[in-house]
Amino acid sequence: MRLEIGRINITDIQLGNETSVQNGVLTVDATSLIAKLKEDDRIKDIKIDIAKPGDKVRIIPVKDVIEPRVKISGGNNGFPGVTAKPAQCGEGRTHVLYGAAIVTVGDIVGFQEGVIDMWGEGAKWTPFSQTYNLTVDINVIDGLDPHTHEETVRLAGLRAAEFVGQAGKDLTPDEVLTYEMDSIFEETNKYPNLPKVLYAEMMITQGLLHDTYIYGVNAQTILPALLHANEELDGAVISGNCVAACDKITTYQHQNNSAILDLYAQHGKEINFMGCIMIPEHTTLSGKMRASDYTRKLVKMLGADAVVVSEEGYGNPDSDLLIICKKCEHEGVKTVLITDECAGRDGMSQPLADTAAEAVAVVSGGNVSHVVTLPPADKVIGNAEAIAVLAGGWEGALLEDGSLQCELNAVIGATSEIGYHNVTCRAY
Amino acid sequence: MKHLIITNNPLVAEKYENVLWTDGSVEKTLIIVRDFIHQGYELVSHPLAASLRMLFSPYRSIIIDKKKEKLNFEHAQIIEDSIIKYKKHMDLRKTDEKTRDDYKKIDLLLLEAALSEEQGKWY
Repeated sequence: MRLEIGRINITDIQLGNETSVQNGVLTVDATSLIAKLKEDDRIKDIKIDIAKPGDKVRIIPVKDVIEPRVKISGGNNGFPGVTAKPAQCGEGRTHVLYGAAIVTVGDIVGFQEGVIDMWGEGAKWTPFSQTYNLTVDINVIDGLDPHTHEETVRLAGLRAAEFVGQAGKDLTPDEVLTYEMDSIFEETNKYPNLPKVLYAEMMITQGLLHDTYIYGVNAQTILPALLHANEELDGAVISGNCVAACDKITTYQHQNNSAILDLYAQHGKEINFMGCIMIPEHTTLSGKMRASDYTRKLVKMLGADAVVVSEEGYGNPDSDLLIICKKCEHEGVKTVLITDECAGRDGMSQPLADTAAEAVAVVSGGNVSHVVTLPPADKVIGNAEAIAVLAGGWEGALLEDGSLQCELNAVIGATSEIGYHNVTCRAY
Repeated sequence: MKHLIITNNPLVAEKYENVLWTDGSVEKTLIIVRDFIHQGYELVSHPLAASLRMLFSPYRSIIIDKKKEKLNFEHAQIIEDSIIKYKKHMDLRKTDEKTRDDYKKIDLLLLEAALSEEQGKWY
């Protein structure tokens, strides 16, 4: 399977009368975009705005972030199985408006959080302060049930990304990246002496606001599934969850999954990267047992020497992470975990809800309980009242000068468990 | 009745028959679950939710299974660890009362998702 990602570098964004890219400037025709999105009669109102790096702008509550792209050859444009008819993802050429992002905003429940600050202290903590953002604030008609409300907002974001992505259709990319891998047998023949490594990606799949979709299929209903490494990089996986802001994997992060990209970079050099196992995180214990057993079986069937497992969320998914770790390690498969820590404000508490002696190689994405102080914004895109919700978890969070103290938990992508974020480690 | 739902969520109590309802806190709900597990009942759903934000919920519903002959030590460990973890978090925070109605609804919907996973089983 061969995928070419053609990057069209975006260095500015503006609203205008057409949707195009000229000299790196992305112009979006908001009127046409709104008309397109309102073809869905469940949408009452759409507000389009822009937020650039350095602007004193706060976006809240963020539902999802999506990278605008267009399919040039192979597969179908958009998100097959969701906004387009089913097709194979991961083949052909895809053009990416690199540096731009669609950020969807919309209250589905009152306790939703998820903040992106485009400047100052807050900007340090989210990768989406560095993207040129088109914000799509979606209001739905009255009377929708919560599931339909979430679906409406989710689809609007994906369709907006598809609409904006069209601007890259006839352009020559600034850079073309190629991702190519033959069958597992052929790659193993090529690199017989390299350790065979699988990536196992856990996804929140527990019901409303806690869902993930693969080719449009709600992953709560699947057994762990094997994907070619190219598929997720090309729109096969989308996010349907929005309550764990810091460690939710946005659709943008699925499209640019750092764990996959880093493993790919080592393929044929230090490792033989075999592909991805997509693992549902169930809320039931029987579901956790089934998914972990099935993962172990796939790892063994494929003859992997090692597996890198990434988590999504905190709390009951910690159990899945460590059960998978135990089972793979007991099979003699070296297991590396990527998670984040809920280690208290001083970082000294036990970081996960569970522990296991087998978890001897663990990569941390940061401490979600770390407290940050965010100064007041000049402009709030979305719902300013949601700022109070951020402070809702504990007293004294809204300071006299209007600054807000909140935990990293509230900041989109702050402690990504697939490594797509700003936090890093430093040896002292 | 195969399952018992232990909950402090009135929406769940209204909708289902196999419910043990408490008008107490989430912590009290977890402690009731713990007492059942120590009597030999088994956990069907995990006591904790999947995100930190859901820890602020004033409501929690947990499904347990029929009483078995022996104590399930693994499940006892899970509920004990969950209570410790919950208390550690909530020592510093308070439940989010302002949006309690939304938490009620989401707790019910997540419970329904868990119950749907348990359909068609007999063991």
